[in-house]
Amino acid sequence: MTFTSFNFLLLLPLIVALYQIVPPRGRSLYLLVVSYGFYWAWSPYGAAALAVATGLTFYAGNVVGNPASERRGRIVFLVAIVLLVTYLSIFKIAAVVPLGSFAGVALPLGLSYYTFKLMSYIIDIYWGKIKPATNRMDFAAAIAFFPQLSAGPIQRPADFLQQIPPAQTLIWQGLARVVWGLAKKMLIADSLAPSVNYVYSHIGARPGGLDGAALLAGFYLFPLQLYADFSALTDIALGIGMMFGIQGPENFNRPFTASSISDFWRRWHMSLTNWLADYLFTPLRMATRSAGTAGLVLSIAINMVAIGLWHGITWGYLMFGLVHAVFLIVDALTTRNRAAFFKAYPGWNRLGEWAGWVLTFHLVLIALVFFRAHSVSDAAWLLSHAWLGFGHAKRDVSHLLAITGSKVLLMGLAGYAALDVAERFRPDQWWWHYQLTAPHWLRRSMEFATVVSVVALLVLLTIRSGNHASSFLYQVF
Amino acid sequence: MQSAGNAEVMETLTGIFRDVFDSPSLVLHDAMTAADVENWDSLNHIDLIVAVEKKFNVKFTTKDVTSLKTVGDLALLIQKKLVPKP
Repeated sequence: MTFTSFNFLLLLPLIVALYQIVPPRGRSLYLLVVSYGFYWAWSPYGAAALAVATGLTFYAGNVVGNPASERRGRIVFLVAIVLLVTYLSIFKIAAVVPLGSFAGVALPLGLSYYTFKLMSYIIDIYWGKIKPATNRMDFAAAIAFFPQLSAGPIQRPADFLQQIPPAQTLIWQGLARVVWGLAKKMLIADSLAPSVNYVYSHIGARPGGLDGAALLAGFYLFPLQLYADFSALTDIALGIGMMFGIQGPENFNRPFTASSISDFWRRWHMSLTNWLADYLFTPLRMATRSAGTAGLVLSIAINMVAIGLWHGITWGYLMFGLVHAVFLIVDALTTRNRAAFFKAYPGWNRLGEWAGWVLTFHLVLIALVFFRAHSVSDAAWLLSHAWLGFGHAKRDVSHLLAITGSKVLLMGLAGYAALDVAERFRPDQWWWHYQLTAPHWLRRSMEFATVVSVVALLVLLTIRSGNHASSFLYQVF
Repeated sequence: MQSAGNAEVMETLTGIFRDVFDSPSLVLHDAMTAADVENWDSLNHIDLIVAVEKKFNVKFTTKDVTSLKTVGDLALLIQKKLVPKP
């Protein structure tokens, strides 16, 4: 299931309309049936695996949360976590190493997302933060909730269950958010994709290989493509959620405005980083707290490597994690010195802010080269050659322009700023504010405009790709 | 109503917070969360916990630390740990 597939977008209005006539008490069951329907259409085996993992975690939760048998609870907790981690790892490893009969088995859709939901549930019960869910159907709906299934955001089950039964559906607000996501995906991400793909498949000293300034197009455009793609996916997931009365967690907060690496990680893929902060980093820090700075360094390193490898077990993702580990360790160890410096020399504050932003932006982009490149050596080649050879920059750039067209490069340059400004005025935010107070004619026109946008995007989708929707980058994890 | 013990704990906590988060004018209140304090994030949360452990001579578990939501929770937890076990 891809949000931009024609079939999905045709089916969705029907599912939303039927939801309106379902009484609130039956709504979680309805969501459960629809979610498993989508999963079943992808793979019946996948749906069965999801059901088994969900069922076992639910029962494990009941045992762990039973205060009468603490010892048994601890054993069941450990077994559940080991099983979930093993289940996740086997598929992740099988994707890169032939594991006997596992070779060639596809990664279950949304595996990395739903196993994280299940783990957070069982850990929260173990820590006494939440009580076990009382209704297994509601719990299963929380895990399988179809808008979040294939690519998050990772909503903690307890947060979802609090909103059951969903009373108020926000159809127009949700639709506006979906339009926002579709537009970002189809107008920005999909337009940048061919150029980025071209650059990353022509790295190195081979015939037709790119060199010098042309490589910068890949360096600067991919992060924008990734952001437009992944944040669009989140917009659509959250927007569809709103249509069913479920508010999900935000994933992005204008990440390219970050002033430091730690600031960046508070703004990028937040539902994943918050998860890791709660369930990996904090326990690690507690366990290593007597080791002082060494404990901090080790905890950061493990946490960032986990973020990298969560995407898949490859050298590129490992490097992505390691590079960020180094950045973040330097950031954490120099925080006090930097604060002291700017306190002593307040005149440098303004320059410091700008330098912090420019430096952070480029450090993030450097790490993303490892994320995107086909191999670590490709990434190293790009990073070492992109700033060389300005003598023939004109030739390199005209080479690239011939392949990509100037529009894409221009869009890339303006894209970051435009997208950042636009995110501040995201339609669902101001729309919600006005919807309550606006006169009738304005409300109707806005609804009309939203519908027209949806239709226009659907037409664009049909023209572009027929029934073969471009898939999202983050749906493969 | 706050007990006298709580006021003492809060006063000591204020000193620790000001030092850890490098914010000399920080004033604590019970309902305060990490979102209300500049520089208080998951990276240095355990620095705070370690400073509290040292100052009050108490020990926290991961479970203790992860269920804290507000400054008031932390003060209450410290008071609980300070009560000598019978």
